[in-house]
Amino acid sequence: MKKLISWRYPARLPFFRMDDRLLLISIGVIVGICSGLAAIGLNRSLIFMLEGLHHLRHLWWAFLLPAAGAMASSIFLEKIMKEGAGHGVPEVIYSVSRYGGLLRFRSSFSRLISACLTIGSGGSAGPEAPVVMSGAAIGSTIARFFYLNDRQRTTLVGCGAAGAIAGIFNAPLTGIIFTMEIILGEWSMVNIIPIAVAAVSGAEISRILQGNSIVFESSGFHITGVDLFASLGLAVVASFASVLLTRTLRRMHGVSSKVKVPLWVRAGIGGCAVGLLGFVVPEAMGEGYHSIHAMIQGVFKGGMGIAAIAFLAKILATSLTLGWGGSGGIFAPCLVIGSFAGLAYHRFVLFAFPSAMLVNEGCFALLGMAGMMSGILQAPLTGIFLILEITGSYEVMLPLIIVSAISTTITHYFEPASFYHKDLKERGELLRPGTDSRVLADISIREVIERDCIAVSPHTLLREFLYTVKRSTRNYFPVEDEETGRFLGMIRLEHIRPYLFNSVMYDTVFVEQIMDANPETVRYDDNLSEVLETMDAKRLFSMPVVSNDRFVGMVSKATLLDKYRDELNVQTSQAF
Amino acid sequence: METTLFHVFRNTPLGREILMQSLYFCKQTRASINIYIPEYTKFLMYYENDVVQVDLDDSYLTQPETAKEHAKVLAADAGINPRFIGPMNFTASTLPDLPVDFDFMCCPRSISDLTSKLTLGHIGPKVRRIINSARFPVLMPSCQFKEWKSIMVFFGGSANAVKALKLGLHLSRTTGKPLDLFTQAGKLSKKHFTGILEERGLADQVKDCVREWYFFDQGKFEHNLYDVPHNALAVLGAYGHGLVKEMLFGSTMEMVQTTLTNNLLIAGPNYVIPQ
Repeated sequence: MKKLISWRYPARLPFFRMDDRLLLISIGVIVGICSGLAAIGLNRSLIFMLEGLHHLRHLWWAFLLPAAGAMASSIFLEKIMKEGAGHGVPEVIYSVSRYGGLLRFRSSFSRLISACLTIGSGGSAGPEAPVVMSGAAIGSTIARFFYLNDRQRTTLVGCGAAGAIAGIFNAPLTGIIFTMEIILGEWSMVNIIPIAVAAVSGAEISRILQGNSIVFESSGFHITGVDLFASLGLAVVASFASVLLTRTLRRMHGVSSKVKVPLWVRAGIGGCAVGLLGFVVPEAMGEGYHSIHAMIQGVFKGGMGIAAIAFLAKILATSLTLGWGGSGGIFAPCLVIGSFAGLAYHRFVLFAFPSAMLVNEGCFALLGMAGMMSGILQAPLTGIFLILEITGSYEVMLPLIIVSAISTTITHYFEPASFYHKDLKERGELLRPGTDSRVLADISIREVIERDCIAVSPHTLLREFLYTVKRSTRNYFPVEDEETGRFLGMIRLEHIRPYLFNSVMYDTVFVEQIMDANPETVRYDDNLSEVLETMDAKRLFSMPVVSNDRFVGMVSKATLLDKYRDELNVQTSQAF
Repeated sequence: METTLFHVFRNTPLGREILMQSLYFCKQTRASINIYIPEYTKFLMYYENDVVQVDLDDSYLTQPETAKEHAKVLAADAGINPRFIGPMNFTASTLPDLPVDFDFMCCPRSISDLTSKLTLGHIGPKVRRIINSARFPVLMPSCQFKEWKSIMVFFGGSANAVKALKLGLHLSRTTGKPLDLFTQAGKLSKKHFTGILEERGLADQVKDCVREWYFFDQGKFEHNLYDVPHNALAVLGAYGHGLVKEMLFGSTMEMVQTTLTNNLLIAGPNYVIPQ
């Protein structure tokens, strides 16, 4: 039994205690495989649902299918799983930011099922973000099972996310870069190796079970200087599309929250609207990968106008699905919207400049996807590598970099935070590793309280007080009511300095006459960043902590700095 | 050092009784009380190695407009100045996070299911996870307000039982209430238990502070529980044996809580004795 229990604490084994690299790599493989399996599970379930419901799509009441799916998804999440709607990526980032990657076990499967219901029934959303949530929760659960510390747990959460992305797209590099850029927000050697191994595991399990295929295979493109020049304009269009999607989604959230009906009814209304939209523009329904295939192959039948309408319809459908309570991510819709934008732009350029020698329109669809992804995620590397890996078109590297970089820059100008970070940033909850706010967030007032203060009564004479000063090592003394223990104020050495050289005053001045009756105080649950700001603003070196009108102790800058350094060491400690 | 009890208030007659228990506990232990009036039926508590989602039943949202006033009146009657706290942050828009740096938490036997609250029943899974994860002991009050006049520590010799004993000794010193010990010895002799106390350096304190040691080497545990005074605060450790052993043999704490109607104070495996 003891041997069995020791395996629950692998980090304590002497072999791993010296260097936890092998531990994280070993567990990372498990996490990567599990995340890959989750991705494949969702992929297969979606295919099953889409095929199962395909024959119903032509019926007049087919517009109700997305409504039913969204309602079922909402009921499942809200009533059965008791989770909020949405794709969950901000939840993963939040848990990494604040709680060392602690995620609930239920999140490892809840989003998979709800996304399957939403997307499978025709809702406009992607399966990638739910899979990331699921993979991250798997990593967190496994880390908790083995009692790993915060840093190790965060790495395994990253492993889960990387394995999931690698598994669903058969794109291990994208998995690594997405995790580093979006989820963890730091590039450190401690994380990269286990995450890379997990991404490889996730991709490999996907290849074993689904075959080693490129998601959107393309015929080769021959890029010229004209294409590079034209891609500048596409970058602007893609950034416009990114801003439009971000704002429409948020606007939809705002509108739907004003409708005072149960969440599942709200999701149903959104789904119904998507269903009706799908009658007019079928490309707006579901994840939309069929359209991407057609566009990259250069066989999309519609003209420039149809592509532009499909582009707008997909933005609307995605906003209706996700903004009204459906479950799913924005990866797939971004790819579809981006490819429509690229296609429409290509046709517009040819319409305006018929003699322009541009590459095949499939290439611009592909560039549009990269621009859109980079813009909305504000993660250019993720956009570049995702498109390279899912299309295998390494010859478009140069325009890909141009479109991604410019799209990210322009979008950042209008939307300073990425889609995943925006809410967290607005709530002040996006704390990136190694930053001041992240370090301070992990320190509580209780941890830095100095309790060795001697309290004095307000009726103490200066002479008596001087004896107290003599036996204390502190420069400040709380004044408390003798009977009730209520905190009345503070007396510091500087308060008695004017009377020190006048011994007549020793027996005439009482503490209450010279104390500071209204000092700046701190409460247990105050934010340490704010406490530090107050200290700086008021030029204080320490402040009393008061709870329920009682003096608890002092918080000083010196102790805070010591604790800060300890915490910084813990957070940035690198086992290798 | 100031201690704080965390209480999730329910604006119902049952919630009133439970708040009165918390207030009485605070008054006796000179702890302050932090009251949370829920606005959502769920919240998260992030512990060191676990995150517990507490799904409250709908009765916790009863008449939110009068909840604070009711709690204030009850606290004023007890002569305690309560502090009302809100969520620290939000994990999702309807999923608030509550702080966990308290010294005690008051929790009914089940927090998610109204049907089992008026009877003893089994401890709900959420409450069990809180006990398992928390660094503070959980006060599990009886359904009707009752003052406790003594403290009864259940001492079975385990590491968790030693923690419970230290907690009981601390409470006895703070409240001035007499302390009793309850031991279901089975085949073990009293010498075995006194040996544990000596080993842990508690023998002298137990000798000085314990009023009576209810030592049973015969009879069934649940039958012997009849001797526990009806107005004692029962202090016990919980879930110290690991999952496998508890699944095989059951938990002593679960048996105590299904049999005793007393107020219980339960120290889980992660409870840290304050210095």
